[in-house]
Amino acid sequence: MRHVLRGVVLFLLMVIASPSQASAAPAQDAGRPVVRVGTEGTYPPFSFHDPGTQELTGYDIEVVKAIAAKAGWKLEFVETQWDAIFPALDARRIDVIANQVSRNDERQAKYGLSDTYTYSRGVVVRRVGDDSVKSLADLKGKTTAQSSTSNWAKVARDAGANVEAVEGFAQAAALLAQGRVDAIVNDNIAVLDYLASTGSKDVEIAANAGEEGSEQVLAFRKDDNALIDQANQAITALKADGTLAGISRKYFKADVSVPDGGSADLSEGRGHRSTWDVLRTTAWPMFVGLVKVTIPLTALSFAIGLVLALLVALARISSSKALSGVARAFISIIRGTPLLLQLFIVFYGLPQIGLKFPPFTAAVIAFSLNVAGYAAEVVRSAILAVPKGQFEAAATIGLDYSHTLRRIVLPQAARTAVPPLSNTLLSLLKDTSLGSVVLLTELFRESQLAAAESNEFLALYAFAGLYYWVICVGLSAAQKRLETRLDRYVAT
Amino acid sequence: MTEQNTEQARIRVRGLEKSFGDRKVLRGIDFEAAKGTSTVLLGPSGSGKTTVLRSLNVLETPESGVVGIDDVEIDFARLPAGKAGRREGARLRAQSGMVFQSHNLFPHMTVLENVIEGPVVAQKRPREEAVEAAAALLEQVGLGDRADAYPFQLSGGQQQRVGIARALALKPRVVLFDEPTSALDPELVGEVLAVIKDLAAEGWTTVIVTHEIRFASQVADQVLFLDGGVIVEKGTSAQVIGDPTEERTRRFLTRVLDPG
Repeated sequence: MRHVLRGVVLFLLMVIASPSQASAAPAQDAGRPVVRVGTEGTYPPFSFHDPGTQELTGYDIEVVKAIAAKAGWKLEFVETQWDAIFPALDARRIDVIANQVSRNDERQAKYGLSDTYTYSRGVVVRRVGDDSVKSLADLKGKTTAQSSTSNWAKVARDAGANVEAVEGFAQAAALLAQGRVDAIVNDNIAVLDYLASTGSKDVEIAANAGEEGSEQVLAFRKDDNALIDQANQAITALKADGTLAGISRKYFKADVSVPDGGSADLSEGRGHRSTWDVLRTTAWPMFVGLVKVTIPLTALSFAIGLVLALLVALARISSSKALSGVARAFISIIRGTPLLLQLFIVFYGLPQIGLKFPPFTAAVIAFSLNVAGYAAEVVRSAILAVPKGQFEAAATIGLDYSHTLRRIVLPQAARTAVPPLSNTLLSLLKDTSLGSVVLLTELFRESQLAAAESNEFLALYAFAGLYYWVICVGLSAAQKRLETRLDRYVAT
Repeated sequence: MTEQNTEQARIRVRGLEKSFGDRKVLRGIDFEAAKGTSTVLLGPSGSGKTTVLRSLNVLETPESGVVGIDDVEIDFARLPAGKAGRREGARLRAQSGMVFQSHNLFPHMTVLENVIEGPVVAQKRPREEAVEAAAALLEQVGLGDRADAYPFQLSGGQQQRVGIARALALKPRVVLFDEPTSALDPELVGEVLAVIKDLAAEGWTTVIVTHEIRFASQVADQVLFLDGGVIVEKGTSAQVIGDPTEERTRRFLTRVLDPG
């Protein structure tokens, strides 16, 4: 076991140490309004990380940067999964979405949409040579993979397809290639770009999805009129001076900023990268995600969770019926509901009653409450396992409640509680990967970003798994040491 | 004892009554003990002697009756519920130290740490002073060289002697012993009883629950024989053990002194 671990650690270090550049935050002028831009960061060529520099770039990113330059905004990018992007706008975590948002009636009614900066049309994508999918009408009774809230999901549903919800086109394409779904409806630009950048020979465009093209816009909150006006003026100016057309041609070899921009010539795609190359450039960002988010999130949530657990356990033991009732209800709710749901309530739900926390804080709150719910029962039974004579002896030497607890009971309860609490800690470390759905760019999210961009699902997720595993093995070793230390006063 | 009548007795117990559920274990216990005396409680199991002892430091709370040690006195019938009552109980408890049947040493602390815990943490005495006093006490109970051992590294008799040092370190007005030798192997009983005898000779005020009749007759200034929650017979050891007047006392002594 130890040799395996050493080998794995060496491997991880080797991959990290191989050349790759970390990204630097671009400096921006002070004094401009800060506009927070929600974008996927996993949606090439619109919003993705450059494999070389790791910097966020893409067509939509360049467009919104050009708009900001004209409008005098200071930008702050917030990377968000598509399904969470509109809730993030509602919850005022971001001010604008730059992520190929298509204009539709529903969005027109609920949000403030800018003028159109991209025109595209929908296509149906199938496995190469699958003759059962030749048109949009053929999707009736078939299964497609779509982002559940995207426009294309609605098109597919209207055509009679069952829609499997996925995160981003890369995942959809992987599902299609693996035969888990029958088709994808998406816009032509994304599909052609995917084919060019991954070199995939598994999927192909089968047909147009309907007559109508779609228009892509920036989405603001309905009442943000100042920002919308500034954006529209900037878009008009950028169209007039040819900036938009320039950005468009850079990415698509065609002008998609006008309705009839023609078909894209993507013959010089960005080129396919080797698995090793992808791993090498992703290892460092994943390591950063591990060290800067996953580990602090785990440590902080566990520490706070333990303190809460102790309080809940004491309340549960207390002779006050009200206190023990509240504690019992808390434990029951935490253990009786999914962690993901708890996380969503804290992150998306609480802002609706005015409690808005930054992602990291929200995650710490949700995870520490969850730890408290589980650890409270562990702590309670560990305290009850301390012999009654210890409490009596503490009383007869004059110790009060808190000294008795701190100096006599808890040190002894720790022996019983360490093994189950270690399990809680290991679970927590792995559960922090759920932070990826509340805008936290932690270890798992980094691997997702890289996988979406490169299509290297197996290699990247396995690599992320190695990171988790190594930390868990380290923690298990620490647990053994701690147990030995706590056993020093017990006859063996 | 009679010459101290103008001064109040160090321990004063009047009319203690206590039930566990609907079983009445104390039915009116009255006794006093003067400063510097040893009181031994004898009686069959279930007689209530341990409950009397544990009432003296409020590990048990009688329903009614009075316990006074020096200038702290509690009338249990009037003891307020909740925090105020607990504070009063703690004041009375602080008057005594206790030695338990199963020593109840803190297993995660060394011998020295066990002994200085009360003085330093509860009584807020300077640590150096407490360590010095503890060293002297450990010397006195014959464990001067085991200060850094953990309880599990000691024999049962040694553990019990640490328990005695821990109780004495509080400088209590009264030392309570709850069957201090019952859990010990027979060959370890002597060393513990010797220590307790020394304490009594030194002038500590002690109350001792025990089954060791010979020890009781040597150490006791006063013997209380309990049965069924009442004091059946009370007097010097020569009276109660040497020449009991009550039939119940005689039967008990015969059984204990000559088992089988």
